[in-house]
Amino acid sequence: MCPLKRRSFLSLSVNAVGAAITGAVLVPACIYAIHPALRKDESPLWNAIGSLDEYRLNVMHERIVELPAGWNPRQKLVFVWRPTDSEVVVFSRACTDLGCPINWDESSQCFYCPCHGGIFSKEGERMAGPPNRPLWRYATRTLDGALEIDLRSVPPMA
Amino acid sequence: MSNDGKIDDQMPPAEPQAASDTARMRKDSPLHNPWGWVKLRFGLGPILEHFIFHRVPKRVPWYFSAGEALLLLFFVLLGTGIFLALGYAPTPEDSHRSVESITLEQKLGWYIRGLHYWSAGLMVVLIVYHMLRQVLVGGYQPPKEGTWLVGVLLFCLTIITSVIGYTLRWDERALYGLTVALTMLNYIPVIGDELVRIVLGGEAFNDLTLRRLYALHVLFIPLFLCGAIFYHIYLVVLHGVTTYEERKRDDIDTAHEQIKLHERLTESEKTGQDFFPYQAVKVTTFGLGAFLTALLLTIFLGPPELYPPANFTEDSIPQEEWWLYWYSALIAYLPPSIAPAFYVLMPLCVVSLLILLPFLDEKGNRGARRRPLAVASVVAVIVSLVWLTGIRISSPWMSWPRGELAALPKGTQLTAGTSKGHVLFTQFGCINCHPLGERGSGVGPNLAGYKFRLSPSELENYVHSPPDGVAMPPYPGRRTPQELKSTVEFVLVTQTFTRKY
Repeated sequence: MCPLKRRSFLSLSVNAVGAAITGAVLVPACIYAIHPALRKDESPLWNAIGSLDEYRLNVMHERIVELPAGWNPRQKLVFVWRPTDSEVVVFSRACTDLGCPINWDESSQCFYCPCHGGIFSKEGERMAGPPNRPLWRYATRTLDGALEIDLRSVPPMA
Repeated sequence: MSNDGKIDDQMPPAEPQAASDTARMRKDSPLHNPWGWVKLRFGLGPILEHFIFHRVPKRVPWYFSAGEALLLLFFVLLGTGIFLALGYAPTPEDSHRSVESITLEQKLGWYIRGLHYWSAGLMVVLIVYHMLRQVLVGGYQPPKEGTWLVGVLLFCLTIITSVIGYTLRWDERALYGLTVALTMLNYIPVIGDELVRIVLGGEAFNDLTLRRLYALHVLFIPLFLCGAIFYHIYLVVLHGVTTYEERKRDDIDTAHEQIKLHERLTESEKTGQDFFPYQAVKVTTFGLGAFLTALLLTIFLGPPELYPPANFTEDSIPQEEWWLYWYSALIAYLPPSIAPAFYVLMPLCVVSLLILLPFLDEKGNRGARRRPLAVASVVAVIVSLVWLTGIRISSPWMSWPRGELAALPKGTQLTAGTSKGHVLFTQFGCINCHPLGERGSGVGPNLAGYKFRLSPSELENYVHSPPDGVAMPPYPGRRTPQELKSTVEFVLVTQTFTRKY
């Protein structure tokens, strides 16, 4: 009677089945792939980095931090500096330009980045090169003289 | 049986009534005409006709064949990559060791790895050449917009998979290479953190990170590339390359006009020919050149050096692949105010421009001689890439703690007092930034140069407390006045030798 109607019904059905199967596979697969971005834990992740007494006043200490299970590499280096008796500053080793590992130079009292010439002062302020912001500082707390840093207080790759 | 691409042997000619059934059957057997049988039963006729013996225009020079050379390199990468997978362990604990074992212990492993590495590098270079050449002749103009857009996708995938390939070595440079890429991604507003976590597979570098990169490098991207490459080739065969006539005439604007011209050119005996073997010879020449380059680089330079296993604790000087040197030089000179925007906008603008190109420049004029803007842009791009790469090789922006004594300008005579200053110059890190004479970092001014002459007291004051906005650490309390005096005396001595100016 009206072949076009039958034709469009059939093509609609075929397309719908195709789309449904594609969706049934791809949507869960994509969620599976991007789930690390969806699950965001804002609560602090405190990590012990020794006792406060280990750090002498006004000296830049390199400290190797043992990271939580599942993190890999299992260790990372941070810089710990006690400007005064009551203060402690923990710098991430990542240059704030592109994340290269900065190096502390005792002679000039500066941090040097090995990639594009970034230089930071002892306070973590940018002195030269493309970096746009001061060094990342971890949130810190002391519990009975033990120093802890919040691993979630710097960007994920820092 | 003929090789001219015409399907002349698929249908048996009509048999006379008298022919017996046996005779008819015999003619249809694989023994009677083996090639014809295979061709028909496996459907090779249409493939040969359309992709091997298809008609192409004459006067297509050898250097138009970068696409085919890229295809060859892609096959080399697939082949070597599949065999590398026999030895590679995609886990953070074992991957570095497995690459070491492939390179040093397994027979000819260095060869497979070297060929994979150099073919990938050459592929990046050739794909840029391939694209720039299309810009010169308007290779994206009607009806080839689709061909170009699929090509842009291929370009992006090639760059991404090349960068990921670098990280799979999982040595310290790989780890920092990945960190740099992630930091760039992190500059994207709003979703930066989320994108980084997707790549990492968690909130930081973790057990899954390398596995995800491995899956992308060996499964996701190669599968996409295979599909997109063959689609691209199908489009090139369908619409042809930008012919000499197309470039000579200025009345070829629309898709219809191009298609008509292309048909006329390829069908004529005078202006057209079979792809195989006439054009195939030129293609093979270019492909052979590309392969031999990769082969010679592999034999003489070998696979890339493997650095200590990935770690976030030891000192490391990260380095990008050589084909990204130019970008590194560009980054080093960015003022801090625009650096964050640049990392996001630069790739975005490049890809957007590539996508929009066919729509911005769709009107005729396909000959390079009548495309001054395209020629100027391509020349500017090539000159910039080479120039920036040259700057990157000497990296004059690098300041780095150096334990050694400063190299002195020729003719400098040191006394006992100034020798002490020479030592202090290193001890206080002056040498990290300031060159003396020709050698050393170029971050601070060259102190032995004529442009930096101050009196002893001026110099002492400057070092003691540098003016605001100068990237030099102040030294109060860290140097005795005597030490400061010796350092300054030493600097002044380096300025006293006779020179041309």
